[in-house]
Formats: sequence, C-alpha cells, structure tokens
Amino acid sequence: MATKKLLFVVRALPYKTEASRLALTHAISSQSVEIYLKDGDLVEGSVAFIGDGVMNCLKNQQAMKHYGITSIEGHMKNTLLLDMKVMVCKEDLDKFGIKEDALLMDAEDIGGETNAQVVPYSEIQKEMESVDHLLFC
Amino acid sequence: MADLKSQTPTQTLDVLGRVCPYPLVLTKKALEKLPSGGILKILCDAPASAEDSLPRFAEGKGYPIEVVKLAESWELYIQKP
Repeated sequence: MATKKLLFVVRALPYKTEASRLALTHAISSQSVEIYLKDGDLVEGSVAFIGDGVMNCLKNQQAMKHYGITSIEGHMKNTLLLDMKVMVCKEDLDKFGIKEDALLMDAEDIGGETNAQVVPYSEIQKEMESVDHLLFC
Repeated sequence: MADLKSQTPTQTLDVLGRVCPYPLVLTKKALEKLPSGGILKILCDAPASAEDSLPRFAEGKGYPIEVVKLAESWELYIQKP
C-alpha cells in the first residue's frame, strides 16, 4: 500500500482560461481514483496558488455578472470540503496588496472543516519537493 | 450479507444533486468519522456513483453494502466493519 502525493500549482488568473478551474477539478477528482487502484494504494492531492493564481482565492467573485459563467469559488469550497490542503502564497498576496480577509479561506457554510493556509513561498517550495507528481496550471 | 436497510442508520448522508466524484469522496469522509459497526445511509441521484463508484469503493474495502433503487434516486447502505 502506497500513497502518491500530487500537487497542483495554480499560476493562472481565474477567468478567460480554464487552467485554474481544471486544476481544481482534477485535484478533486484525484480523491476518487483509489477505487481503480490495487492493493489499497491512495492518492493525496493538494493545491497551491502562486503568482496571478492567488486571484482565484478572492471572495465574492462576480463571474456570472461579468462573464456569464460560474465562479471559481464553488470549486474552491469543494476543495476545502474534501479536506484537501490548499496553500496561498503570502509574498504574492502582498505583491498585489491582497489581505487575508479578502480571501475565501473556509467552506464552513457547506460543512467544510479545513481552512486554506496563507504560507510563505518557501513552504510551497518544500511541498513541491516532497510530492510524487507536480502539475503546473 | 446482513440486512442493512432494515436497521436504523447511524448517519444519513444526502448527496442528492451532487455528481461524481462528490458522492464518493463525501462518503469516504463520512465513513472515516463513523464508529466501527455504524451504518451510513446515502441518498444519491448520480447513476455513476450509485451504480459504480460507491459499490466499487465499498467492495474494495470489504464493507458490506446494499443498494436500493428508487424511482429517480438510490439509497445505499454501507456498514463500517
């Protein structure tokens, strides 16, 4: 029995690209693939937002109003609902002047118990070095 | 196999309206917290989850499962050993 660790590193802006939405969808889906694996193998997924990607974590996104599409917020909440590790780069938030209270940090309203974590890039780098598969989106 | 559906479930998980993979991953999460011997009743209307992934998961883990097909949804009963 082995656990394969995946890290999805989201660098893309939330809209006018499907990159971040697909990253979250694949990260969520990765939590169900164990049923197709042998001998109790597991997959542990996590997500890190860096660079422009930190914009995905903003609360109160108005995607429907502006673009006529669903927002990334639902995907973010589902990721937390499934207890996945979600990291947001502190330095990049500082670069954009985004405060933590502007971010979607939990999914308590849908029963989530895990919070997103604002962390220095060094911690994300450490996570990158520890995983089996690294996927940049 | 024990008759699970005739027993009072320890917990009911409503995943109606949710599609794959959510029924499975939320079921896994609920089972982690369920005490040993507890029965989880799952309300589900996603065919792929009710007919494939949930039974496959339970059978892979060796958990007893019963699937009851209703008109437009399913009730699944899984017992945590």
